[in-house]
Amino acid sequence: MFIQLNFKSGKPVYLQVVDQIKAAAASGALRVGEALPTIRPLAEQLRINRNTVAKAYTELESQGVIETVAGKGCFLTGNNSPYRMELRQEMLAEEIDAVIVQAHHLQVNKEDLLRLVRQRLELFEEKTKTNTP
Amino acid sequence: MKAESPVIEIQNLVRKFGRTDAVNGLSLSVRAGRCYGFFGRNGAGKTTTIKCLLNLLQPTAGSVRVFGTDPARNEVAVKSRVAYVPDYVAFYPWMTVRETLEYLASFREHWNGQTEKELLGQFRLDPLKKVGHLSKGQKTQLALIGAICPEPELLLLDEPTSGLDPIVRREFIQTVIGAYQEAHPGQRTIFVSTHLIAEFEGLIDEFTIIEEGKEALTLESDVARQRYQRIRARFSQSPPALDFPETSWARRDGRELELVVNGNSAQILSRIKSYSPETVSMEALTLEEIFMASFK
Repeated sequence: MFIQLNFKSGKPVYLQVVDQIKAAAASGALRVGEALPTIRPLAEQLRINRNTVAKAYTELESQGVIETVAGKGCFLTGNNSPYRMELRQEMLAEEIDAVIVQAHHLQVNKEDLLRLVRQRLELFEEKTKTNTP
Repeated sequence: MKAESPVIEIQNLVRKFGRTDAVNGLSLSVRAGRCYGFFGRNGAGKTTTIKCLLNLLQPTAGSVRVFGTDPARNEVAVKSRVAYVPDYVAFYPWMTVRETLEYLASFREHWNGQTEKELLGQFRLDPLKKVGHLSKGQKTQLALIGAICPEPELLLLDEPTSGLDPIVRREFIQTVIGAYQEAHPGQRTIFVSTHLIAEFEGLIDEFTIIEEGKEALTLESDVARQRYQRIRARFSQSPPALDFPETSWARRDGRELELVVNGNSAQILSRIKSYSPETVSMEALTLEEIFMASFK
């Protein structure tokens, strides 16, 4: 799994790790049951503090993305979010609102935005296919 | 020590040398388990502060507490839980690497031989080589190994990478800190003074910038990178005259406008966008750039 940090994005470093692991899971680059790197090697590879990696893993665990097996490490779980469906949709709606606002400012109209969303979804499906043996 | 008491607590520290104030009213507090950056230019008072933590110097006024206790009164108790790597490392040149480590271990109750072996291997340090024949970088590596093997609760590093090869130093500071934090990370606190901030970008949880012996800025790294942003915009005509109180630096050049803002970046960005610039971008400042900006 490749994680690329950007200190210039202004986004907290642990959140960058969280989002990229979630993206890797969504695209099949990381598969259900597969182990995540342990904290120290990942911290060394990314040149960050182990606290930051630990914080990211705790966050992923609380979101139900990964689970920790004592003595064995962290693994990607199946898609069992601890949140109710309505809540999950609400969380997603907030993110979608942000995209809509951004689209307005970039003068991307409704049809183009929807087309783009479909395109991106297909891209992820495509990646998942190539990542599945 | 109570669990919640900070590992380092400095209050209004003053240290004079004759009539010069090396440290002049510095306060800061470091919680357990943090990797804390202490940034300042040469002569800002970094080394003096660290020496006060170790009772190598006594405060002229103010107080320092390490593990909740006064290092002048409980010197041995404090020092047995601390390891210190000074900016200039001195060893007996006639000792070998192995002898030096044994000598250092003889002062300690505990010594992690596994870590020692691991790091000697990673740094390719020959245990039989005389210390006098080591390069400056290798001496620093040896000092860092000697500092973390006792598994101290506090690691004080004073300019650990200055004067070293830029590629090598990033590697090994990462390796050493990774090894140090391997076990009981909640009880592994690092306090590192440096002016080479870029190397520590991802490692530092929180930092204080010291300027002329006083605290100039203390922030969590993530908060700092969210707060300090650089906005660049190009307009079709000359840029609008905008005045933001949060701007810590601004430059106009023809049709271009460049701002470094300290907070409220989203509002400032949307105000700039309302003047319909041709292009506009925003990016966070790195810790090093924030350090530079704090002197402008």
